Amino acid sequence: MNAIIQFFLTLLHAIVQFFVTIVTLNGQFDWSRVVENLFARIIIEGVIITIILAVLSQFIGSVIGLLLYFARRSDLAILRRFVGLYVWFFRGTPLLVQILFLNELAPALHLAQPLIQLHIFLKLGFSQDIPVDAFIATCIALSLNEGAYMAEIVRAGIDAIDTGQMEAAKSLGMTYWLGMRRIVLPQALRVIVPPLGNEFNSMLKSTSLAYVIGVGDLLGSSKALASSFFAFLELYTVAAIWYLALTTGWGLIQAQIERRVNASNIDPALLDKRPWWQRMTGLRGPTGGGPTGGVPIEAPVLEGERR
Amino acid sequence: MNEDRASAAINGLPMVDARDIHKSFHHNEVLRGITMQVRKGEVVVMIGPSGSGKTTFLRCINHLEKINKGKLYVDGELVGYRETPDGKIAEDTEKNIARIRAEIGMVFQRFNLFPHMTALENVMEAPIQVKRTPKDQAEARARGLLRKVGLEQKADAYPARLSGGQQQRVAIARALAMDPKLMLFDEATSALDPELVGEVLKVMRQLAEEGMTMVVVTHEMGFAREVADRVIFMDGGVIVEEGQPEQVFSAPQQERTQTFLRMIL
Repeated sequence: MNAIIQFFLTLLHAIVQFFVTIVTLNGQFDWSRVVENLFARIIIEGVIITIILAVLSQFIGSVIGLLLYFARRSDLAILRRFVGLYVWFFRGTPLLVQILFLNELAPALHLAQPLIQLHIFLKLGFSQDIPVDAFIATCIALSLNEGAYMAEIVRAGIDAIDTGQMEAAKSLGMTYWLGMRRIVLPQALRVIVPPLGNEFNSMLKSTSLAYVIGVGDLLGSSKALASSFFAFLELYTVAAIWYLALTTGWGLIQAQIERRVNASNIDPALLDKRPWWQRMTGLRGPTGGGPTGGVPIEAPVLEGERR
Repeated sequence: MNEDRASAAINGLPMVDARDIHKSFHHNEVLRGITMQVRKGEVVVMIGPSGSGKTTFLRCINHLEKINKGKLYVDGELVGYRETPDGKIAEDTEKNIARIRAEIGMVFQRFNLFPHMTALENVMEAPIQVKRTPKDQAEARARGLLRKVGLEQKADAYPARLSGGQQQRVAIARALAMDPKLMLFDEATSALDPELVGEVLKVMRQLAEEGMTMVVVTHEMGFAREVADRVIFMDGGVIVEEGQPEQVFSAPQQERTQTFLRMIL
């Protein structure tokens, strides 16, 4: 019994020691390096590249997800088979492998040659010329990967809509596509927006994998800078701060979008319309009112309605 | 009233002509040879125990369910299929089916209103999208229809704010917006609390009096007795008995009909 206690105390000591070392960073962490590079040109460019990459890939990936939904319901067995293989492959292999793979294929993008000659990024004011073919390859890899995951999110969103909706649309003379466009998809969007927001959060961070092929993203720039004056820990901190800023910023935007799109199935008339500071803190405004400003939290079950 | 409508009924093609309809769900045969007609202007009420196939048959009329055997005509047109020159039956195009459906109105048990639109927008949606009616025209017509069902005050309300009876009346207005020649009612009052059933039946009755051809699946025997031109009793996928309401309710000839009515009335 004594021996066991002894063992755990030793273990605890080692763990505490480890964390103390990390926190004090062995007395070798240089915060001034962090501050002076936080807004370095290359870092800012890296942030911009990261954002562009994330937005483009998420958008294309979402479109792919939607296309896969319809492909899965196709009459052609080949198409249905293809969807199964696609999803299996892109969810079954690591994103990093997919990025490396597509990057190898990048020179094969003969179309990209004239684009590379254009030196787009230099023209746009970037301090270095980012290889367009690598950029495109990365974007494609991210999009294809995301598409596989979005397929399930889209499917779940659309299936969440009661089949009676499409039946009502059809009974009024709408075709399947018209019913989808006007009735089902708008409602499905409300269900899809929250997981889509989470996917984008993930995407912002996944772009960091692209550093291995040098497309000038945030992590890549941070590493390059770190190598140049041998301050890895400090520059990783810069990268971490920026990623945190991006994901936090997105979190706020996401909350706003979800409010507008009414992602939580509340009757629009009952939506909490108080100013944001009141909503967040629960404090009453000058006019008083309850914790929700006098607005009921749940939609009332109206008389005469069987649930 | 029934006699007035009977004499007003136009002779010629029946509005609904069902010939030996069979329908199975996997290996379960739900419709085992339904043959019936509905004349223009007629109100036919279908009653029967659950599982009898009456709702399935109703949904076959506007091809929400595909039939396995038999032919179903609405106003002379084969529904869901077309007869090829060499006499075979092929599935019809989606466009054609949609066109036929646009002339048949359906009211569902669970209303199926579009929750992301107001009552007015619900009623306007189909005429604008399907018939390409100009917006102001569609809006004027929609308001008129909402007034007809007694809900013009609720034009800007979302379905979530309406009671069940109100939602169903909006649903009826929405179906009427397409100017249908036939209205199908699938247990339109079954999901309503008793005190709200009356307001919906009132609208249905008004429609009947205006000469609309209606096929109504319901458990409301009072409605059947007073409004129907003909009552059809279905059980186990077949039509067991049909006739005038007085005859079916007061003097049912088949034993299954008697058993069912004894349980209900």
